[in-house]
Amino acid sequence: MSASPAPCFHCGAAIPAGVLVQEKGPDAVLSFCCRGCHGAYLLISGAGLTDFYRRRDWQEPGLAADSFQSSFNAPYLARFVHPAGAASAIDIIIEGIRCASCVWLNEKIIGQLPGVQEARVNYATGRARVVFDPELVTPTAIFSRIAEIGYRARPYTSSAAQESAKREQRDLLLRFGTAFFLTMQLMAYSFALYAGYFQGIGAQIKGLLQVFSWLVTTPVVFYCGWPFLAGAWRALANRSPNMELLIAIGALSSYGYSIYGSLSGGEVYYETAAMIVTLILAGRLLENAAKRRSAGSIELLLGLCAGQARRFSGDALETVDVAQLAVGDLILVGPGERFPTDGRVVEGSSDVDQSPATGEALPVVKGAGDEVIAGSSNLTGALRVVCEKVAADSFIARVARLVEEAQSRRAPIQRVADRASAGFVPAVLVLALGTFCWQYAAVGGGFAGSLMSALAVVVIACPCALGLATPTAILAGTGAAAAQGVIFKGGDILERLSRVNLAVFDKTGTLTCGLPEVTGVRVATGVSAETLLSLAASVESGSLHPIGKAIRDHAAGLGIPCPPGTELRGVAGGGVTGLVAGERVAVGSARFLAEGGVTGVPDDGTLPEGELVVFVACSGSYQGALVLKDRMRQDAPELVEYFNRAGIGTLLLSGDRQASAGQAAGVLGIATGMGDLSPAQKADYLGELRRCGAIVLMVGDGINDAPALSAADIGCAVAGGTDIAIETSDLVLVRPDLARLSDAHRIARRTMGVVRQNLVWAFLYNIVGIPLAMTGRLTPIYAAAAMALSSVCVVGNSLRLVRLRLVRYRRG
Amino acid sequence: MDSSLVILIVLSLFLGCGCWLVFLWAVKKGEFDDIERPKHRMLDDDDDKPGKSKN
Repeated sequence: MSASPAPCFHCGAAIPAGVLVQEKGPDAVLSFCCRGCHGAYLLISGAGLTDFYRRRDWQEPGLAADSFQSSFNAPYLARFVHPAGAASAIDIIIEGIRCASCVWLNEKIIGQLPGVQEARVNYATGRARVVFDPELVTPTAIFSRIAEIGYRARPYTSSAAQESAKREQRDLLLRFGTAFFLTMQLMAYSFALYAGYFQGIGAQIKGLLQVFSWLVTTPVVFYCGWPFLAGAWRALANRSPNMELLIAIGALSSYGYSIYGSLSGGEVYYETAAMIVTLILAGRLLENAAKRRSAGSIELLLGLCAGQARRFSGDALETVDVAQLAVGDLILVGPGERFPTDGRVVEGSSDVDQSPATGEALPVVKGAGDEVIAGSSNLTGALRVVCEKVAADSFIARVARLVEEAQSRRAPIQRVADRASAGFVPAVLVLALGTFCWQYAAVGGGFAGSLMSALAVVVIACPCALGLATPTAILAGTGAAAAQGVIFKGGDILERLSRVNLAVFDKTGTLTCGLPEVTGVRVATGVSAETLLSLAASVESGSLHPIGKAIRDHAAGLGIPCPPGTELRGVAGGGVTGLVAGERVAVGSARFLAEGGVTGVPDDGTLPEGELVVFVACSGSYQGALVLKDRMRQDAPELVEYFNRAGIGTLLLSGDRQASAGQAAGVLGIATGMGDLSPAQKADYLGELRRCGAIVLMVGDGINDAPALSAADIGCAVAGGTDIAIETSDLVLVRPDLARLSDAHRIARRTMGVVRQNLVWAFLYNIVGIPLAMTGRLTPIYAAAAMALSSVCVVGNSLRLVRLRLVRYRRG
Repeated sequence: MDSSLVILIVLSLFLGCGCWLVFLWAVKKGEFDDIERPKHRMLDDDDDKPGKSKN
């Protein structure tokens, strides 16, 4: 069994031993890893869309977790349907879209349903809009259809924030497009004027061209540039000079200077005013594009939150919104479901995974009378739970309030371009004033002439490329990071990450896998390790429990065949029994085995912290034991070492016990490990560190990390963690691979290096022009050259970042 | 000479305005909302596109 068979034809994942579905294809026999994939193939080939398999371009095999969802809640979906003309429409997030062919397949498959009028899938965001005839097809049918071909579908409504972001984007696009068209017209007149400067030009034509220039520049400055003018006014009112103020001063002074120039028959600088505005708008557009791209990726990472609960009304069950649950309501929580609110178990017993809420790695047994926490998930048995809090007061809601509090305390940082401008604006104004005084008093240029020289200083000093300096570098940097599987939620995050000096980690699920793994096998005399694992894995074949899964994975990893056992019966907190090849096998704790009449089970002794032993017996005799442990992620030590080498302090904060936190810190080389911390304590501690001057990066994944993630300067969530952690963090690792975080840090530092170089380039050519302006010898051709040169240098320098990443940041 | 220049400039402004109006219409209609997909769309089979003879 060691030779691995061909991967699944549909999803490309390895086919687990024992599960093999085959189908005769046109040329060869095709193998599938499960019935779901087989069904998907039949549906796709039945629709005549087998081209999909030839054309798709998947970087990684496998499907999203929980694919092939079979049942959808019709009334729930009906709420997302909205009218579209005579038909209805629904917006759907399709998870698992990885290439253009996935888009094509989904559009075709949905489009073939009778009654569907249009199916459009947005490749960038993974969202679909389906227009359908409600008489002929239901939303449930559409969702099932998507699920049948192995994608995950969930309804989507855009939030108010997204709507306003979309409006803003359109507004920006309109302003930029308008500015671009008008500036193109303007450049034609300007080139004629440049030619006139060198070859001579009739005064009448020159005047005419200047009038047309004025005509097209006015809307650029006052309509397209309005956001900057407003921003500059605010900056002035707050007495905090920023980039917008510098831009506004530059644009308005060149506009004013040019009007005076046209009237007095002098030179004009209209193109400087128009170009500044156009380039800044272009920069904003680029920055927005980066932001939207990451917002789309994050949306895909967020799972479908429970949102609903099953409540007993009398003996019958009804599905209700979580918000409708009242204190005292009796609800049913099945295996694999999350607890919608805090409550107390009244009936049943089950293993409950509390790691998202508390950070404890191993599941806890909950029976009648025990408390359960919202957000933790039920693993093995169905539980009847009486609600003790309404959803708005549950653990999750309390954490959400802590998050809000922490976010409201967060001050926006002043960006590099703003800091540079803050120093530059007063310096330029002083220089202009100095020029005026010097021209007026010493050179004797007259009032008007001196004023024009002073204005010329301001005109030339404002760098057109300033607006491009940060956005182009950030677009390139976030693009490089996205290719590495790191999503930055905004450009300022790159800036903050590059200055981090303390990295704080959560333990469970972040530095460790958050799931137990088999780390040791102890056999009784006369039993081989293979037999022991095979027996244990067979009995655990149906288990949802992480321990069962760990044993199965371990056996499968070693290629040990394990036929599924029969008559499987699990006892929460105890173990599992079942029949394997006619013999009764029990797997579980020492007490569980002893209760089953097994003798000769050795004493656990004292186990190292965080370890767990599972005993195996066959037909009443002890066979051996398996040791399980929540293992460190393989790349965790490398990451800690990277930070230590980079001179960044490290700290571990865990909700788990102090002993295991300390031990984990010791193993990884983290200076301090602190345990037994509540979510609020974690956040408070980070707040304290920040007051002492630390710039803190927090890495976490659980609900209990969410307040700390937003209290830190930068929160980094690991995908696969909880939604609330992903939502509150600034930086998301798309895959649970910690090496990507060090890549992100390197990219951030590199990008900020490029931003600084860009700012120097942007200012440099213009600063060289200042002496010319002071002596009154500035000409439009020089201003145009400075504008073009600085822009080209800035964009070229940023593009260097795109090319460089291919060499430096690609990893094996 | 002068008048021909004025005519040409005004003509170019009108042309520019025309393009600008098309651009406004495109933005309002949401043509720029998804700029990834269209470049792949042309590679798909277009047997169900209007105007093509159905087989």
